[in-house]
Amino acid sequence: MPGLGELERAIMEVLWRAGTPCTAKEVQDALVGRDARDLATTTVLTVLSRLERKALVARERNGRAHSYTAVATREDHIAELMNDALGTTPDRTAALARFLGGMGESERDATRRLLDP
Amino acid sequence: MIAFGLVLLTLGLVLAEPASRVLAHAAWPQRSPGIALLLWQGMGLLAGLAFIGAGVILALAAPPVVAVVLWTLTGVLAARLLGVLTATGLRTLASRRRHRQLLDLIATPWPDRPGAAVLDHPMPVAYCLPGLRSRLVISRGVLDVLTPSQLDAVLAHERAHLAERHDLVVLPFVAWGATVPLPLRSWLPGVLRSQLAVAELIEMRADDVAVRQCGAQHLAAALRAVAGIGSYPPVETAGTIRDSTHFRAHRCGALPALRRLRRLAISSGSSSSHSAESGDTE
Repeated sequence: MPGLGELERAIMEVLWRAGTPCTAKEVQDALVGRDARDLATTTVLTVLSRLERKALVARERNGRAHSYTAVATREDHIAELMNDALGTTPDRTAALARFLGGMGESERDATRRLLDP
Repeated sequence: MIAFGLVLLTLGLVLAEPASRVLAHAAWPQRSPGIALLLWQGMGLLAGLAFIGAGVILALAAPPVVAVVLWTLTGVLAARLLGVLTATGLRTLASRRRHRQLLDLIATPWPDRPGAAVLDHPMPVAYCLPGLRSRLVISRGVLDVLTPSQLDAVLAHERAHLAERHDLVVLPFVAWGATVPLPLRSWLPGVLRSQLAVAELIEMRADDVAVRQCGAQHLAAALRAVAGIGSYPPVETAGTIRDSTHFRAHRCGALPALRRLRRLAISSGSSSSHSAESGDTE
């Protein structure tokens, strides 16, 4: 039985790959096809609603079923994490401690000149 | 009574201005960053208590009309200090949770170094996400520029931040920096000064821990590599506002990095001449 975290990753992978809204059934089929995993639709729905609560997935009504889309691409999320890490977001909290404060172009040049005269 | 109130007020002012300047410009904190951090914390706490105490005591002694003004001022100050600390704390927790959720979804666990995860981005960055469920993160860019022993030094540095909960040390200084209204900033330079000093001292403290575990050469080489390579403009995302405040935040980076390198050069010099004693614990 894979952990919830691993399932979340797998399901996000499916949604990113699809690029279009998917129903829980479609997500389940994609997972079975790829991982030969026997997952109940309810499990897929549980994980999808967890992802929705984390604002990673958006749900919309599509006739009788609900369909789900990833709210942002994987690359957007990586960029968000990097901006947090580099302190380049406007709302800078003490959330992270990074190895070296990010530097602007001129500062980096100045550092390099001082390091290697 | 009034005399005691005035003494407290003076104490607060002395701590806020001349004392913080002396401590910020002293040379010894670079040699004992841990002690200097304790001193900054003590001074911050004492200054806050002195101002509030002075307000209360003077209000008790003053004639009724003045007392009302003093009670109000003291109440506003105390409420603001506590309120901002709470608000900053909650906001920090929320943004950390969001960051952790994204990391767990996107970063790849790194089998070679248990507890560390790799973020697929070419810009070199290594950081830790503090908290009860902490995370250690390095970007692919770091893997490209650092050797394995340099990487161990960087991870030791980040683990020191986590183990000593440096995030909690920094929090009140960041929070109270935000309590000072912008027009008053230049009147209270001690606030900004303490923020910068504390931010730099926790890096030095973490450097010291990493040096003891991995040696100064590797850590210094890692710092040079991360400082010299890659570009640091904001990563483009939809919804990222690019303005001058980003770059103001960056400006603090270069000089502290140089000071850290200078310290490491000194400690690697002394550790090679007294290598037999380097096993001492502090």
